[in-house]
Amino acid sequence: MTGFLQATVYGLLQGGLLALVAVGFSLVWGVMNVVNLSHGAFVVLGAYVGWQLNTSLGLDPFLGMVIVALVLFCIGYAVQRFLINLVVNGPIFITLLLTFGLELLLVQGMNIVFTANYQSIPTSYAGNAIVLGGIQVPLGRLLAFLLAVGITVLLVKVMANTRIGMSIMATGMDRGAARLMGIRARHVYALTFGIATALAGMAGTMVGTVGTFNPAAAGGFTLLSFVIAVLGGLGNMYGAMVGGLLMGLVQAWGGYYLSGTWVNALAFLVLVIVLMFRPSGLVGKAFYAARVEV
Amino acid sequence: MLEVKGVCAGYGRVQVLWDVDLTVSANEIVALVGPNGAGKTTLLRALSGMVPIRDGSVTFLGEDITGRSIERIVDLGISHVPEGRRLFPGLTVKDNLRLGGWRNRNTDIDRVIDLFPKLGDRLSQVTGSMSGGEQQMCAIARGLMGKPDLIMIDELSMGLAPVIVEEIIGRLADIAASGTAVLLVEQDVDAALTVAERAYVMETGRVVMSGNAGVLLADPRIQQSYLGIA
Repeated sequence: MTGFLQATVYGLLQGGLLALVAVGFSLVWGVMNVVNLSHGAFVVLGAYVGWQLNTSLGLDPFLGMVIVALVLFCIGYAVQRFLINLVVNGPIFITLLLTFGLELLLVQGMNIVFTANYQSIPTSYAGNAIVLGGIQVPLGRLLAFLLAVGITVLLVKVMANTRIGMSIMATGMDRGAARLMGIRARHVYALTFGIATALAGMAGTMVGTVGTFNPAAAGGFTLLSFVIAVLGGLGNMYGAMVGGLLMGLVQAWGGYYLSGTWVNALAFLVLVIVLMFRPSGLVGKAFYAARVEV
Repeated sequence: MLEVKGVCAGYGRVQVLWDVDLTVSANEIVALVGPNGAGKTTLLRALSGMVPIRDGSVTFLGEDITGRSIERIVDLGISHVPEGRRLFPGLTVKDNLRLGGWRNRNTDIDRVIDLFPKLGDRLSQVTGSMSGGEQQMCAIARGLMGKPDLIMIDELSMGLAPVIVEEIIGRLADIAASGTAVLLVEQDVDAALTVAERAYVMETGRVVMSGNAGVLLADPRIQQSYLGIA
């Protein structure tokens, strides 16, 4: 029983982090109808930026995350503004190809700069654990979980209540109508992508503090983001949260009861089952049903 | 205020507008009528920057806006209520109105509610679930939130009951009087020519008649082609 509870706690903590990994992916898909295959590469890039800040400046990763977010935001903004915007109105196949190419570039670039070796961002406290009734709660994971959930909730609030959030939402629903309101769609797209990569980067740094990473991990993060975004409901940020938590639990329980390779199969089995009964995801697609293509 | 000279525009290889001339003065209501496919919607889209202009020029308040982006034209004071209204369907009336005032940070919705009091009872309703008439009111109100000098309304009466059309068209004079000129594209020729001061008749991409709306309304060719009076 303790083993099961331990797996559950571990799964929830991991799930919160996965939600932050996926939420930007879901946002980009929901607002721009772009399936960003390079998303995982930005997660790993964020981890490396955090790692670099830690190794060369000795910056604590949880503080360095702020800088990671800024750096990744700027990169994401530029990538969207000067690259993806060129084809954003094209068929989805074109954006898939472009982001796939971008993923290859980023991953190989990181292989060259940082080598393919596994890295992690060490802290003096992340390994310490609180013990509650025989269940271990590692501090690093708890901190990562709380931050990830906090940032996701903050993102939802920003989307619903600020001028920028409103413009992003409106552009996601009807780009043409949003432009008629004087909203600069190209700028909004770039902002959206920048926010998504900033969140991915922060998630990446936290992944680096609780585990290991290398450039090859990018593909796995993209895949997970895809599953979580669809599970929760496209473009729906709370959906990404629910999807992330569920995915964390499924992985932890799968890991506890089954042998290693079955865990991924189980993740997709859950996706198939959820979509059979709730085709628009657990929470529901955000503005997907209401969206107008121009 | 708005001066359109020799405008040609179209989609891809298909040219829709041929050498269109049109003017709108401040505080004026101008109607643009004609059969389906005459190019009325395309003209509005060209004026707001949604369709590229190939030849000719558009001047607004003394500034050449030919080839400007949609957003820039909005900034200069032209509001376009597009065909099909294009409200943000998942959002409430209030949010739609707030988005209308997004650019100029105008949050004063009372002014447009005064114009369409029915919207006042519907502020927290999602626009997708409202009747066509209420949606059209919301779309026009949203267009007015940017405090434009000119509002272009496409197919105001589309899909609406005549009594609702009358109610909405009745507000156009108030809109014009408050300082926003109206360029109205309308299928209901009778209603449009009654409310407008001047009018243009378009056929197959060209302006074929223009002048005082009352004179046009009495013209036998208009009566025969559009009003079914033999």
